[in-house]
Parts: sequence; C-alpha cells; structure tokens
Amino acid sequence: MTVIKSVTCPICGCLCDDIEVTVENNEVVKMKNGCAVCEGKFLGYKGEHRTKKPLIRKDGKLVPVTMKEAVHAAAEVLANANYPILYGWSSTSSEAQRVGVELAEEIGGVLDNTAVVCHGPSILGVQEVGIPTATLGQIRHRADLIIYWGCDPWSAHPRHLERYTNFTEGRFEKSEWTSYMTKLKAHAGNRKLASAMRIEDSKAKPKPQACYVGGSPPELSKGGRKLIVVDVRKSMTAEMADFFIQVEPNKDYEVLQALRALVKDKELDVDSVGGVPVEYLQDLADALVNCEFGVIFFGMGLTQTAGKFRNIEVAIQLVRDLNSKTKFMIMPMRGHYNVTGANVVSSWQSGYPYGVDFSLGYPRYNPGETTCMDVLLRDELDASLVIAADPGANFPKNAVQNMVKHPLIVIDPHMNATAMLGDIVFPAAFVGIEVDGTAYRMDSVPIPLHKVVDPPAGVLSDEEILKKILEEVKIIKAKNAKVA
Amino acid sequence: MITLTPLKQFKYPVYAECITPDVFQGKDIAEIANLPVNEGNQVKNLSDLFKIEEDNAATPTITINGDASEVRRIGIGMKNGEIIINGNVGMHLGEKMVGGKITVNGNAGQWVGGGMKNGLIEIHGDAGDYLGSHYRGVSEGMKHGVIVVDGNVGSDSGCYLRGGVIKIKGNAGPFLGYHMSDGTINVEKNAGPRLGANMIGGKIVVGGLAEDMMPTFTIDTSKPKVKIDDTQSAQGPFYVFLGDLAEDGKGKLFISKANNPKLKFYEKYL
Repeated sequence: MTVIKSVTCPICGCLCDDIEVTVENNEVVKMKNGCAVCEGKFLGYKGEHRTKKPLIRKDGKLVPVTMKEAVHAAAEVLANANYPILYGWSSTSSEAQRVGVELAEEIGGVLDNTAVVCHGPSILGVQEVGIPTATLGQIRHRADLIIYWGCDPWSAHPRHLERYTNFTEGRFEKSEWTSYMTKLKAHAGNRKLASAMRIEDSKAKPKPQACYVGGSPPELSKGGRKLIVVDVRKSMTAEMADFFIQVEPNKDYEVLQALRALVKDKELDVDSVGGVPVEYLQDLADALVNCEFGVIFFGMGLTQTAGKFRNIEVAIQLVRDLNSKTKFMIMPMRGHYNVTGANVVSSWQSGYPYGVDFSLGYPRYNPGETTCMDVLLRDELDASLVIAADPGANFPKNAVQNMVKHPLIVIDPHMNATAMLGDIVFPAAFVGIEVDGTAYRMDSVPIPLHKVVDPPAGVLSDEEILKKILEEVKIIKAKNAKVA
Repeated sequence: MITLTPLKQFKYPVYAECITPDVFQGKDIAEIANLPVNEGNQVKNLSDLFKIEEDNAATPTITINGDASEVRRIGIGMKNGEIIINGNVGMHLGEKMVGGKITVNGNAGQWVGGGMKNGLIEIHGDAGDYLGSHYRGVSEGMKHGVIVVDGNVGSDSGCYLRGGVIKIKGNAGPFLGYHMSDGTINVEKNAGPRLGANMIGGKIVVGGLAEDMMPTFTIDTSKPKVKIDDTQSAQGPFYVFLGDLAEDGKGKLFISKANNPKLKFYEKYL
C-alpha cells in the first residue's frame, strides 16, 4: 500500500493539488482531501464503460482491431478530408493539445475546444476590452469582497470557496467559516421560530418573487470577507451569501450596465432593472466601491444567456470602472480541468484561443464562422475527430446529425455517447490518474498532473495516439504528393 | 461585363477574394479563369467552381447568377464598379469596401460591409448578424457609405459604427448600434433588446416597437420628425433618449411614440 501526496485532481478548473491517494495492487483504494466529485472519479473511473481496444465500424458494428489498423484508418480519413473538424481537448493534457494543433495544421482543419459551448464568450469579451485579473493565490490572501455571478461553485467547483475565497485563511483576510457556521445555527433557530409562528398565523404574506434579497444592507458593511451572489435562482451558494440578488433571466446585461452608471454616480430614470429595485443596486454599487479588493467570479449564467459575450464585456467594463475607485478583479469559473490549457496552448501555437481554421494554410479565427458548432450546423465538414469530450451527448440534435453523416474518429477512455456513434474509436488512458501531464488552472497557472496507477495493457495516452496519427498522416500526404 | 454561374451547390466554404471589379479589370477571360479561390482546404481556379462568361459591355460589372451562400469575401476592399448577385450570398460581402456598388437580389450572410469605408450596398432580402460592424478586437465599424436592407437584419448590426447610414426596412436583432460613435441607423419596423447599448454618439431611429429600453438611457425631449440623410426623413412623433450613461455617451435614440405606449411613463421627466 502506497500513499501518494499532493496529487492534482483532474476534474474542474480549481485543480486542487492537495489530494492524498492510497494505492494498492495498481488500484486507488482510499482518498483524502478531495470533494465528492474528485473521489467519484478516482475511486470509480474503472467502470464497465471503459474501452480497452481500438474499434472500427464494420457493417454497422464496432469491432476490435489492432492499434496499427485503427491509426491507419484514422489517418486516411483525416489526410483526405477537405474540411475536417477537431473538437474536444478540454479533459486532456496540454502535451496532447500541442500535438492536436500540429495535426490540425497538417490536415488543414478546424481546431476547436469545448470553450465554444462554455466560456468562449468570455474570451470574446476579453478580446474586446481586456481583463484585469489575478491569480487565485492573490485573491485568497487579499480579497475582501467576493461576487459569484451566474455560477454555483457549491455544486460545480465544490472546493472553490474553501481553497481560494471566503472560507480560506488568507495572510491578510481571515476565513469566514466560523461566522458562516454561526449564521447557519441562527438560521436553523429562525426556521424553528418561523415554523412555530406559521402555526400561529397561517395567513402570512407571500414573499416577493421578482427580487428576493436574502440579507440587508447592514450585512454589506460588516467586517471581514463579504460574499455576494447574483443569480436567477437561489442556488446553494446563494444560501451561504451575505447578500443575494435575484435577477430576472436574461437581464444580467441591463443590471451590469445599470451598476456601471451607478458606480459613475449617474441617475437612472427607471425604478427597477431586471426585476431588482434600483435602491438595492445602489447598495450593491456602494459595497463594490467601498471594498479594498473585490473580485467577480462568473459562470455560464453570464456566458450562455442572452447577450453572451456582451455580458462578459460589460462585466469587465464594470471592473474597469471600479478600478478607478478601488481595486477589482474578474475571473471566469472554468469548468473542465484543462479547458484553460486548451485556450492557452492554442493561443501559444496558433495565435488564437479556440475556433481556429487552418483550411487556408494559416490560422484564422472568427467565432460564428470558424467555430465548430457553426461549421456543424451549416454541415460544411466532411470528417471529424473528437477527443476528450462528448458532443454526442450534449450538442444540439442537428449538429450531431451532421457530425455522424461523415466519418467520426473518437479518442476517449470511455465508451461515451460520441464513441458509440463513432466510426473509429481509440481507447485512451486517464490523464491525471494513469498518465502525467500539465493542466492550466482557471487563473492560467500551469499545474502538473500525476500518474498514480498504470493504464490497462495496450492503452496509450491521448498524446501518444495523436502522435501516431500525425506520423501516419504525414506519410499518406507524402505518398499522395508523389502520385500527384 | 463578366457573368459567373456556380457550377454546383457548394458544400465547403469558398473564399473568393478575387471576385471584385478591381481584380477583374484589364484581365481577359483566361486570366480571370485562372484566379485562385479556396474551397475547403483546397486551392482551385475560379473556372473550377464557376462558369465564366463575358459580354462586350465595357462597364466593370460582375454578375453572379445562382446560390453563392457559401461564397465568402466577395467584393472585399473594392474601389469601384458594380457587383450584382442574383441569389443568396455568403459572409463578408463588401468587407472594407472603399467605393462602388453591390446589389444582392436575395439574402446575405454575416458581416456584410464589415469595416466598410465607403460605397453602397443594397440587399433586397435579409442580412445576417454584424451588418456594417467591426471585426473581433477592432474598434472601428463602418465609416462612410450607405447600406440598405429590404428585409430583417441579425444581431449586433451597426456595432462600432463610425459614420455612414444603415437603412433597415424590416426588423433588427439585439445590440443594434452597439458602441456606435457616429452615423445613422434607421429601422422602419421593430428593434431587439439592448438597443444602442454603450453608444457614445450618432443616432438610431426606430419606427416600430423598441423591445426593451436600456436602463442607462435618459429621456431628453420629444420631436415630430427626424432627418435620416439628405434624401429622407422619418415622421414621428418620437421620444428622444440620450445615452449610454454608463459610457458618458451622447448618442440619440428616436423611438416612435405611437408604437411604444409602454414608454409613456418617461413623459413625467419631460
């Protein structure tokens, strides 16, 4: 039995690197420090859906073949394609992503990562107005006002609050954990009281629906770290917040723009914005201006609702305006553990973070034109390679229909929905469990991933599979050029 | 005059930057046939994709008959002459054009007249998103010239408009005139939400319903009519809003009074 310390968790953009894993007979048997999602992956990754042999579709059925056969078949498809797409990349190592960029350039395809359906709009927003940001370490030690806007870290990034924001003991800012526990106890007491009161008075007035503020402005002037949540519903994170603002769906843009005007001391003609009374927004604007070091974390509640990248643009503009009065930062809550890496590697290699089209022989980037979702919906592709993602399970129906019309190559550890639709399927080792690698945290800090157990016999890493395909593509293209 | 007819229904994107009167001028038909175009990741000759015919008229005009909805960058940077497209056309039509005229008897894709410097584009159909707008990361949209659309336009049209006139006879999508600093946009029917967001100058006239007013616009006055350009003015009465306050902007929104009764509450500030 071996205990391996400081293992990095390959789940979400937090990349917690304090996990302790106990290994016995090449199997993970015990975990420490991880969240439920982390434990779920480390203890349960050897599920029944694991593929261990390359598969090729013959007469409608996927049949096992040798690695050499599968590599040659995949390379044939890619080398002869006129407009192939290469999609996924977010749940693999940056080393594999680097080979992917070379492959896309070699075959003149469209390289896109899962940011296109996730935080792609954040990147567009950043390209419009720039971004004032920091590392999570700086936020941990200094931030005294944390805003989660359109995201629910309690559910999606379970250790974010504990490691980087309100519930962590920073050098200059203390943890709010004790005061949160006190608040919880008081809340439980209040609920008991309310329940007793309800028996007394069953005709209590209903609460307002459009805007529910779970706290009062005095809470915004309390000492220590403050937690503000803005969302369309009262999420689990909102339950913990000192101040919660419920915005009508798809009205975040208006609320952010109104906040910008209020921060600049302008008068508004309207009484409420996005269902939030202007007085509440004024309280919020005062809290923003009066903090020492504030940070906004935003999620898909901003990036994928009406306005998309304009929502991010206006949020960054708010932060920019606030920086003339105090110190403020903003950061996207990246989902997949290495989606940031996919953007970083793609930018470093091609100049563009996602949606890169190599068809003209040089990289081009114009989301809406060169992004894989648009290419799929317009059915312009003639082959696709999907790696470390599952578009078959979560892309729109029309996009998946167009994807499966043409040869589909899948590289994934699991027999996921896309692999089941695939024509050539490669089994891959789990990055961060069975192979080493590098991943970028949501603040773009590279963190090493560790191998803790060996992969099943014959199963290669994403990087090795891609290198084999790339070599074979080069051989086929050289042959084709000779014939021509 | 040159007439181009697509030889097939294009599946892959075709980048045909060579289709402008300036490139065709002074070339014989064999030279035009050999101009390079990209189809997917293959480089081809123009004659591989289009039937090319020439008549004797000396006008520098190009006519495309048929569906060119996958053909992009037609008329890029054109300085003079005319392009007539009888059918639908793809993205980036008339990108950065400096002069001349483009007529589309069909629908056009996104980024029509992106970063246009001058000239005239007439679309007798619908246009996609980013009409007369900027490109990613650039802060300049259309600067001069006129774009007329008979149908509807998509979102983010007239973004970062620096001048010129956009006339839309149908409806417009969200973020019309985003961050515009000069020029005029006239929508005869309805305009989508976030109208004129971040605008710092110029004017937008909405004859129909303005779906949602940004909270950061303040009412200034009301006017019976407004001038669109030297040849046209729109009949009101209109509410006149100033904004965007968040950008200290001085842009003007003219919103039809008759079609927007929900804006009546602003009258108490007049």
